[in-house]
Amino acid sequence: MIKVEEEVVETLKQTFTEYVVEAKVQREKRVTVVVKRERLVEIARFLRDNLQFDHIASVSGVDYPEKNEFMVVYHVWSIPKKVLVALKTSVPRDNPHLSSLISVWEGVNYFERETWEMFGIIFDGHPNLSRFLLPEDWDRGFPFRKDFKLRTKPE
Amino acid sequence: MSIMRVRWGPQHPVSGQWAFWLDVDGDIVVNMEPDIGYTHRGIEKVAENRTYIQNVPVVERTSVFDAGNIVFGYVQAVEELMGIEIPERAKYIRTIVGEMSRIVSHLYGLGLLAIAVGFETMLMWFINDRELFLDLFEMLTGARITYSFFIPGGVLHDLPQGFYDEAMRRLDYFERRLKDYWKMFFLNRTFITRTRGVGVLKREDAIRLGVVGPNLRASGVEADVRKDEPYAAYDQIDFIIPTEKEGDAYARGGVRFHELEQSVSIIRQALKKIPDGKIRVKVPITPTPPKGEAYSRVETARGEIGYYIISDGSNRPYRVKISAPSFRNLLAMPFLSRNVPMADIPTIYLSLDLIPLDVDR
Repeated sequence: MIKVEEEVVETLKQTFTEYVVEAKVQREKRVTVVVKRERLVEIARFLRDNLQFDHIASVSGVDYPEKNEFMVVYHVWSIPKKVLVALKTSVPRDNPHLSSLISVWEGVNYFERETWEMFGIIFDGHPNLSRFLLPEDWDRGFPFRKDFKLRTKPE
Repeated sequence: MSIMRVRWGPQHPVSGQWAFWLDVDGDIVVNMEPDIGYTHRGIEKVAENRTYIQNVPVVERTSVFDAGNIVFGYVQAVEELMGIEIPERAKYIRTIVGEMSRIVSHLYGLGLLAIAVGFETMLMWFINDRELFLDLFEMLTGARITYSFFIPGGVLHDLPQGFYDEAMRRLDYFERRLKDYWKMFFLNRTFITRTRGVGVLKREDAIRLGVVGPNLRASGVEADVRKDEPYAAYDQIDFIIPTEKEGDAYARGGVRFHELEQSVSIIRQALKKIPDGKIRVKVPITPTPPKGEAYSRVETARGEIGYYIISDGSNRPYRVKISAPSFRNLLAMPFLSRNVPMADIPTIYLSLDLIPLDVDR
């Protein structure tokens, strides 16, 4: 049952040896791959073209202030294979630049725009990184970062 | 002719709590941009500041139209983090609530689609029949819309006395009504003319844009989490995934209609097959799952919802990402709104069954 997942992990490890930091089968139908951000676009394109990961499920930013980095996680589902891959990469917190994956999966468009707005991660090559969910005159920074504290009472 | 920019909403009757920027050339829309965020509540951030149990009603507000299935994904992710296996009876009760929630949501969505083509009578009928299931929710959970019925470990209450008979009676009635609806609404010439060939989403475009749920299935892709990755009791129940090939507004409405029939059959089977036993396992009032992460997928009425939860070992989640179905379907809206008459915009929007609550979170 777990064969398809292991095949994905092995193929990725063999093709992108030094750029795959970690690849493992998390459980049935779940694969986690941590890659270096320099080759993110190539690995994503390989996942789409050679391993049939065609349906984007989610893009999440995660803030790790103590490690001084953001993690960006692309979850991609494969309709033929019925497997979900979590493609993770980290970007430094003080220079948060990452190549946009919009050329690979067009469905990341609004997800990346939201992640830019909430975390301040700049996706190079994205056509329209502009205000989306927050008010147009928002000036209180990036709300999903860990150093943004919720106000429990109105001031 | 010069191109004019029109703002549609957020006060427009069929816009909901969001707005579209339409670039129109006479009556033809050449470009459309959604302007969302009017109901943004920052649920993902709020969830980082509450305990796992407190978060159940919080994430439910992602989309109150389909409260059952929305919470479903969240509790499953928490259970995966904690390594809990829930009792069989709880799985069946969850399946029943999830399907009733789907019926309630589809009736609302189809009613709005009827409004888009100027068929207000249908909305009244659908809303009236929605009451059948809202009453069942009240009987089972004590609330009609936001019942927060699922908790990590199981469900809150067992099926009450008389629930089986009452549910069967209402399902029989509802099934008769569905036959009328097909004749009245889906075979109606006005509805067919206004929706056939409108907003055609091809199979490859649907996959490329990451569209989910009935909208994806109406484009000929047989993808449904209930079959692809069966959760709760769906692997023990016999049902089919309705699909259509056309990918237009009529097909999207049709898929939803046939899902109603399937849901009726699923609830009947689940009520007949439900085993005896416990309805939940003991979970501490403030659970502290071990370090790790889980991605749980559930098929809601509008499509697949994904919860990505990271635990750092404390009693609050480190990160909760909600990949909501309407947010994923939203990308199809500007794609389908190019070179169409302005009068088709409500039909396209409501046939995609987008709701602003879900988009904004």
